[in-house]
Amino acid sequence: MLTVSVKWQKKVFESIEIDTSQPPFVFKAQLYDLSGVPPERQKIMVKGGLLKDDADWSTLGLKNGQKLMMMGTADEIVKAPEKGPVFMEDLPEEQQAANLGYSAGLVNLGNTCYMNSTMQCLISVPELKSELSNYQSARTKDVDQTSHMLTVATRELFSELDKSVKAVAPMPFWMVLQKKYPQFAQLHNGNHMQQDAEECWTQMLYTLSQSLKLPSPSEDPDAVKALFGLNLLNRLHCQESSEESSETESVFSLKCHISHEVNHLHEGLKHGLKGELEKTSPSLGRTAVYVKESLIDSLPRYLTVQFVRFFWKRESNQKAKILRKVDYPLELDIYDLCSEDLRKKLEAPRQKLRDIEGQKLGLQASAKSSSKGDDVKMTDAEGSSNQSGESSTGDQQEGASPHMTGIYDLVSVLTHKGRSADSGHYVAWVKQESGKWVQYDDANTSLQRGEDIIKLSGGGDWHMAYIVMYKARLISM
Amino acid sequence: MAPVPDPNSVGGGAKRDEATTKIPSKDSKKKDDKKEEDLSEEDLQLKQNLELYVERVQDPNPELQKIALESMRKEIRDSTSSMTSVPKPLKFLRPHYGVLKEFHAKMAESDLKKMLADILSVLALTMSAEGERESLNYRLNGSESDIGSWGHEYVRNLAGEIAKEYTIRQGEESSIEDLMDLVQQIVSFHMKHNAETEAVDLLMDVEDLDLLLEHVDNTNFRRTCNYLTSAAKYLPGPDDMLVLDIAYMIYIKFAEYPNALQIALFLDNMQYVKQVFTSCTDLVKKKQFCYMIARHGMTFELDQEMVANDEDKEALQDIVNNSKLSEGYLTLARDIEVMEAKTPEDIYKAHLLDGRASSGPSVDSARQNLSATFVNAFVNAGFGQDKLMTVPSDSTSGSAGNWLFKNKEHGKTSAVASLGMIQLWDVETGLGHLDKYFHSNDNPVVAGALLGVGIVNCGIKNDCDPAFALLSGYIDNEDSSVRIGAIMGLGIAYAGSQNDQIKIRLSPILNDANAPLDVIAFAALSLGMIYVGSCNEEVAQSIIFALMDRSEAELGEALTRFLPLGLGLLYLGKQESVEATAEVSKTFNEKIRKYCDMTLLSCAYAGTGNVLKVQDLLAQCGEHLVKGDIHQGPAVIGLAMVAMSEELGLDMEIRSLERVLQYGEQNIRRAVPLALGLLCISNPKVTVMDTLSRLSHDTDSEVAMAAIISLGLIGAGTNNARIAGMLRNLSSYYYKDASLLFCVRIAQGFVHMGKGLLTLNPFHSERLLLSPTALAGIVTLLHACLDMKSIILGKYHYVLYFLVLAMQPRMMLTVDQSLKPISVPVRVGQAVDVVGQAGRPKTITGFQTHSTPVLLAAGERAELATEKYIPLSPILEGFVILKENPDYREE
Repeated sequence: MLTVSVKWQKKVFESIEIDTSQPPFVFKAQLYDLSGVPPERQKIMVKGGLLKDDADWSTLGLKNGQKLMMMGTADEIVKAPEKGPVFMEDLPEEQQAANLGYSAGLVNLGNTCYMNSTMQCLISVPELKSELSNYQSARTKDVDQTSHMLTVATRELFSELDKSVKAVAPMPFWMVLQKKYPQFAQLHNGNHMQQDAEECWTQMLYTLSQSLKLPSPSEDPDAVKALFGLNLLNRLHCQESSEESSETESVFSLKCHISHEVNHLHEGLKHGLKGELEKTSPSLGRTAVYVKESLIDSLPRYLTVQFVRFFWKRESNQKAKILRKVDYPLELDIYDLCSEDLRKKLEAPRQKLRDIEGQKLGLQASAKSSSKGDDVKMTDAEGSSNQSGESSTGDQQEGASPHMTGIYDLVSVLTHKGRSADSGHYVAWVKQESGKWVQYDDANTSLQRGEDIIKLSGGGDWHMAYIVMYKARLISM
Repeated sequence: MAPVPDPNSVGGGAKRDEATTKIPSKDSKKKDDKKEEDLSEEDLQLKQNLELYVERVQDPNPELQKIALESMRKEIRDSTSSMTSVPKPLKFLRPHYGVLKEFHAKMAESDLKKMLADILSVLALTMSAEGERESLNYRLNGSESDIGSWGHEYVRNLAGEIAKEYTIRQGEESSIEDLMDLVQQIVSFHMKHNAETEAVDLLMDVEDLDLLLEHVDNTNFRRTCNYLTSAAKYLPGPDDMLVLDIAYMIYIKFAEYPNALQIALFLDNMQYVKQVFTSCTDLVKKKQFCYMIARHGMTFELDQEMVANDEDKEALQDIVNNSKLSEGYLTLARDIEVMEAKTPEDIYKAHLLDGRASSGPSVDSARQNLSATFVNAFVNAGFGQDKLMTVPSDSTSGSAGNWLFKNKEHGKTSAVASLGMIQLWDVETGLGHLDKYFHSNDNPVVAGALLGVGIVNCGIKNDCDPAFALLSGYIDNEDSSVRIGAIMGLGIAYAGSQNDQIKIRLSPILNDANAPLDVIAFAALSLGMIYVGSCNEEVAQSIIFALMDRSEAELGEALTRFLPLGLGLLYLGKQESVEATAEVSKTFNEKIRKYCDMTLLSCAYAGTGNVLKVQDLLAQCGEHLVKGDIHQGPAVIGLAMVAMSEELGLDMEIRSLERVLQYGEQNIRRAVPLALGLLCISNPKVTVMDTLSRLSHDTDSEVAMAAIISLGLIGAGTNNARIAGMLRNLSSYYYKDASLLFCVRIAQGFVHMGKGLLTLNPFHSERLLLSPTALAGIVTLLHACLDMKSIILGKYHYVLYFLVLAMQPRMMLTVDQSLKPISVPVRVGQAVDVVGQAGRPKTITGFQTHSTPVLLAAGERAELATEKYIPLSPILEGFVILKENPDYREE
């Protein structure tokens, strides 16, 4: 008979008697009573190893009063869950891309950053993407061969970008683009030349507007025009003869002219919509100076503004760049650039928008005035529920009858860094649906802060905005 | 007259530059001539007197001679008390020095001749030609009167001349007996006059430090020993050992046992350790010794001789076994109020990175989860609770399983092993938590449980040997991941123990032709850890054979580097003992030969500060190699290992690494951040931090990864806000690169290790002692980092757990004589080097007063702010036993 003490976790079982004539299994059963650990789960440490169920006590050399240690729990044995978690590393690439929250970058194929950044800005327009996906691969006869190929290539590129995590090399698209627009294939010292992103942008939109004409003539025939196009109401006025004429013109972008007085996008736009031109006056019978004033007659879903930063410098024979800082807002209101008719149309939706915004502030104000202290919480709660209700209904109705408000939110910025249009570097900065800004610098993508986007306004050697795209804020009536 | 500045007065050391003590004779003579007329009456009188004495000395009448000599001696003695100028008698006697010398040579042997020799000896202080050592010669021919009667300056000069004479005589192999008599006198004079450092210097010059023992007394032994121990760092072997030996003996002589023990541990001399125990009779003091041994991480068995009483022995052995470490650590944690478990998100602090942080993917990433596992393990190390792995008793038994299965395959090993880290040092509870995983049918889970057992037992010994009992059964398992878990667990649990049983089990694996390479690599590493610094022949042989048996292809594998490393660890800090093995390593396949060479060299001289070895290693780094050679990595790490021991060498090394970084090849640049990390481990120096921060953005991602890991290492356990900020920014900078992000996460885990209560510094006890097991753990991690991609980023990420060997609470916990924690006020401040300073200088500066337990940062020192208690150890680190001061009176 031996007496030992057994240490188990923080407990010590003092003076347990071991009947050395019985196998250790009996001892384990004793411990089971004390600790509740089933014998098969007990691990008892003796000198040189674990105590085996059939061991011989005499060979273990136990001493009276010796301390033994037991390990073991009655805990459930861990089992792997039926369905293990899915790891990102195991997912196919397109799902990884979906998880990333934004699309991949584009590999620079040799001075193609102008193209990459243009495409990154365009891909951020979901409506364009869906239009493209509806585009038939079979060519209809009213589209020429190269335009068709370019449209298909664009579609392919967009879908490829959506699927991959790693940067995509837009080789097929690049080949087609060169074919369609040979000016992009210009070589200089054996390398492709840097090109003006604005040119690429314009050409792309033009091509797409040609090819994406909807087959059914009843609707608006041109999807691209519906998305990007805006009508300008030009009024020509001749000072000398007081002749007046007006015409409408359809453009894809507004120009922001930069002069000494222009410090802000809005001023630049105004500046761009006013111009002088010489023209033969029918009444005077000679050329006279006409003042051209344009007003916006119809608003696009996506308003593109080009900063006219480059001008042809005759003396040096190159496109020089204006580095002047021109601020642009995250939220642009172009109401005062619109024509009278359009303003009238905008009146009601704008009022509604103001109401909604006013409600947010106004509710609080009214809460202040109405509540004399005791029902503040209630009105607050009401207000918040109101708000949430508002937004949800707004979402629902947006599809039903959206109305333009003349207010636009910045969605993408194409910047240029460098001193002339044909050199330097183009980068795209695109706002994601999640509200985050992503910088697409060719193959590299990185998240950016909203406040840094505003800082791309020029005035130094940092990236500066060249083309900005705004998305209309719609309101349902 | 204008006082002539006396260069002698500036001389501080015994070996002054002789040249400066001589006044240029020609110029001064002219001046003297000119100024003769300007002398004051008094001086003129003195001068005339002296001239008279000089004349009289040459008088044939011995009576007159004697009177003249005595008067002359009186004049000189009266004046040598001043130190600010050349004493006037000496000045006036200058023209007569030659005359007196000639006369002395002509004199017959007599007392008078000796007397004159004495005077000449003093005169030679300023007048003898350089290198002639006339002062010494005349002294030896003199009357051997009291040496101190001629003033300090004279004694110092003599000491300098003796040192020179000694080297010359050593060269000629002539007798030095007469010198030694003089040395005796000088040493006793110095020791009595607060000039211990000079006495020690002289004795080191004449290579007879034993003399010191006779001359130290109660008042000066501390300062003497202090000087000896700090001088030892700068002495070449084997002198340093000799110096420490003397210091040990002095401490023993004055019953200053804690210090004696410290030196015994430094010398790694078991005989001495034992002697400390047998010499001391106070049981409480012995407990303090046990705490010191436990902190050093040494396996130590007390025997009957050291403590007679069985019960006492058990109590002491408990302390050595570190079984109370967990308790003390938790006391500290509760006092500082950091018990609350932290999640990885609390560490990442993503909310501070507005906008730029990715929104957090909706799907689990195995790599992200793995890094979270490690961060969770390191941050909650030793606290016994966390929010991922431990289960709050019953209700959420699913949650632990959940997190575990959010890790993939080998990731599960690290996840289960992290339980060991969380329960660190608390063996009983830890085993309880790990138990259920033993019964899993998933091999990586079992491997993790085995590894966890090893981790939880790290530094803790137990009579029942639970780790060996549990792990030994799995060493020969058919699944190699389970084998590695068991082998690595044993290596961690028994590091430094030199356990024969384990050797018997592990050695056969090394030479088993069927064992896979990774199992062999980990077996070699574990054996290296268990026998760290032991120079064990058998183990060395096994590893050498294993290395020779490797095929060409296997030698190219990343894991093969653990074989030479295991071999190197056997000789950690053992200097020359490595030479035989280093010779054998020259016969290895050339693929591994140089790697092995560098590893052996750097391990053997680790922590010695040996300048010659630093040069050797630097020379290796200077070569520009054909690519494919990998031995420069360990050479760079070796630089840090050798130089890390003392502050001066460390700073020099940081500077030279900057050069290496600029001129070195890519493979060197990859190792430099790691070397910096080792040099400043748990010691975030701002300069190093900046260098690493710069490198963390390097275009070579391997350099960046190493720099990031090293940022973690230098900030390990400090919660350093600046490093934390840097890492946070890096986490957003690298959020897309999974590998780099993993490194950033790991580094974040390091910085917040133990919620800032831990340190990785292998040096302790005021930077004197180097814990070999701790260093082994760090070095292993660094070697693994040399090939980050295949090891840490591959499936052997659990090598990160080797760091547990170096993890120690950076605390100062005071306990009373019954080992219950008590709180007393202490001052904590920046440590000041007081070696060789006069008086009783303050040992800390810029201090703050706290009450124990307190945290000590790198370079900080504590002192009691109360007279009520007396600490039993002069080094206020870790556990310190206080006893009440019998003389204390409440005010």
